[in-house]
Amino acid sequence: MAAFDYAPAIAVFPLVAFALALFGGRYLPKRGAIAGIAATGASLVLSLWMVLTLATGADPHQQTLYTFVAGAEGVASVDLSFGIFIDQLSALMLVIVSLISLLVHVFSLGYMNDEGETGLPRYYAGLGLFTFSMLAFVFSDNLLMSFMFFELVGLCSYLLIGFWFRDDAPSSAAKKAFLVTRFGDYFFLIGVVAVFATFGTTAFVGEESFIAMAEQAMPGSEAAVPGVVSDWLGVVGLSASQWFTVVGLLVLGGVIGKSAQFPLHTWLPDAMEGPTPVSALIHAATMVAAGVYLVARMYGFYALSPTALGIIALIGGFTALFAATMALVKQELKQVLAYSTISQYGYMMLALGGGGYVAAVFHLTTHAAFKALLFLGAGSVIIAMHHNENMWDMGGLKDRMRVTYLTFLAGSLALAGIFPFAGFWSKDEVLYETLIHGLGSTSGTLLLLGYAFGLLAVVFTAFYTFRMVFLTFHGDARTDTAEDPEPVRWNVKVPLAVLGVLATVVGVINLGAIKNFIGESNLFLHEWLFHGAEGLNGEHYEQLLHDFAGYSAADLGPLGPGAVSLALALVGVGLAYRLYGGADPDPHMTNLGSIRTLLMNNYYLDEFQVWLATGVTAPVARAADTFDQGIIDGVVNGVSSVSLFSSDRFRRIQTGVVTNYAALLTLGLTLLVLVFALAGGWF
Amino acid sequence: MAIQPEFYLLLSAGVFCAGLFGVLARSSALMFLMSVELMLNAANINFVAFSFYYGNVTGQVFSLFVIGLAAAEVAVGIGIILVLYRNFGDIDVTEPVTMRW
Repeated sequence: MAAFDYAPAIAVFPLVAFALALFGGRYLPKRGAIAGIAATGASLVLSLWMVLTLATGADPHQQTLYTFVAGAEGVASVDLSFGIFIDQLSALMLVIVSLISLLVHVFSLGYMNDEGETGLPRYYAGLGLFTFSMLAFVFSDNLLMSFMFFELVGLCSYLLIGFWFRDDAPSSAAKKAFLVTRFGDYFFLIGVVAVFATFGTTAFVGEESFIAMAEQAMPGSEAAVPGVVSDWLGVVGLSASQWFTVVGLLVLGGVIGKSAQFPLHTWLPDAMEGPTPVSALIHAATMVAAGVYLVARMYGFYALSPTALGIIALIGGFTALFAATMALVKQELKQVLAYSTISQYGYMMLALGGGGYVAAVFHLTTHAAFKALLFLGAGSVIIAMHHNENMWDMGGLKDRMRVTYLTFLAGSLALAGIFPFAGFWSKDEVLYETLIHGLGSTSGTLLLLGYAFGLLAVVFTAFYTFRMVFLTFHGDARTDTAEDPEPVRWNVKVPLAVLGVLATVVGVINLGAIKNFIGESNLFLHEWLFHGAEGLNGEHYEQLLHDFAGYSAADLGPLGPGAVSLALALVGVGLAYRLYGGADPDPHMTNLGSIRTLLMNNYYLDEFQVWLATGVTAPVARAADTFDQGIIDGVVNGVSSVSLFSSDRFRRIQTGVVTNYAALLTLGLTLLVLVFALAGGWF
Repeated sequence: MAIQPEFYLLLSAGVFCAGLFGVLARSSALMFLMSVELMLNAANINFVAFSFYYGNVTGQVFSLFVIGLAAAEVAVGIGIILVLYRNFGDIDVTEPVTMRW
């Protein structure tokens, strides 16, 4: 397999770009941008080669690159290693990540270099490291390696969100992003340890992987329960399905943090303080996508537990609706997009929980295209508006920024889920999969609840998206800057054009809603993901969902639900047009009164979390500190003070008079002789 | 001939006790040195006496070593006494008591 020999280079190229920009960025053309573009371009080419190799019938490729802790032979021990695993899912994700990263690098030429920012080598080094971490995370062949690069992704987001560290807001947003995701990662870490303890391995692939072992350990599977698993289940005292649910939910903690799901979504809107290209990268391809990708990667594990799936679906559906409501009232362009990201990742979680593995990956793909497009479009608008992000200061930009408007509109139509743009197909499939599994399964109540949330969110999504479009691009210019926006150059327009085309057409890879007309075999993504590695493909997952989670699909055609969601989306667009489509729209949202205040303040969740920290955690920590200082240290100090006191008394025999020492020596010798005499029985 | 070994032991014990008394009771550093010398020589008496008694010269050789050791010890001791005198104008060992707790 010659092609796969080059797989590690996919991640190494951005790492080299990182090192070049970090150490020699000052001397490089464009301060390291060219190196980054070359590196991500090379990664993209290699990733496409991987996809092509797989598409022409090669088997998925797993290879251990480096074992940094080798367990002893013959005893129950674990190996910790780095390895790569290229299968249909990871190859697809590699293409997405390297493509978005390449376009973001190009866009950064316009957004950062042309705007005369300082510290550019640091910026491009951050982008390079970010891309490297995400690519390595994607092709990890074991959970521990995933965890390490998951953390590295978090670190990079900290570095890039806080790029303008001299201002207060970005640095505090960076800290918040780091800490909130870290809170979730803490559970992930425990989950990794639990996987190690249960299975003795964290590999994703093969007969010896934890996913395969978990399946064998489930009651009702034909294979024998692996010894190490049954030993461990004896220790915990839970049945296999209960314990796997616990482990799955622990790992899910990290996913909720990274993918910004309720209640750990609060970091993401603040992360808008970073440079806009970074936001595009974080939201479309790296960081936030990492969480959903992780669930997809170990979907065979989650598919064993209907409880975990139900929770994922409910969290996803709720987040989709919850975040969409907050996006309704925001006044800043990037804030609206930030909440839409949370909402869209909620859809992906809903799909995963609802048994729609393909739908989730599909939505991940289309969302990467249209959300990167929207963020870069927003970046273009921000350049034009001299870094004013308030939509009420814009208006009428559509004639003055033709390329930006058209591409942004394509992205918005995709986000709103309007036929035939990419988002329609994927969002429809998410909802459809959830619906049929909710109707067909015995335990489908949670799924149907999630579906209801998701369906309602469709209206909101369409509404806030087109409120954004109308306010930004339509009507009359409301400020002088909007009257005469700064022009943008090719390096902004080219990425927009590429993504604009993608956001329009990428839906063709899985035209699920009309599968009855084009035939099941023409759902390319479906076919692609159903032919993965042994035990790690969509077909096997469906089997697992049916056998262990009790999911079965209701007999319902895709056309009806698709029409419903399209109709709802059109209702949202129409409402937005009615309210904001005029030449000089009024701020209708102020009519909502106290509800608007609640939404503007994000349901006071930030305040609640701060209160949790200062009102609950801090007093508990103080009490623990008092206990530590008073009781624990008190005991230790008491012991030492006894010995201090006694030694203080004891040292007084050191009189300094030689005669006394001589007397003590003599006395000691006499005593010694006496002791020997008594012990030896001389008397 | 034939003085019984007990007598040698008694003599040696007597000399040793005299030396010990000197070390414990005197305050002059020179007296100290002399008393130490007495104790060493009490040991020498034992060495020689038993060597004679058993007809083995090892003890006598050892006594030569002890004499050599005593000479070295005196050389160091005299040095200390000289410094003591220079610093305190006296050789009373109860005077320098600052080296204590």
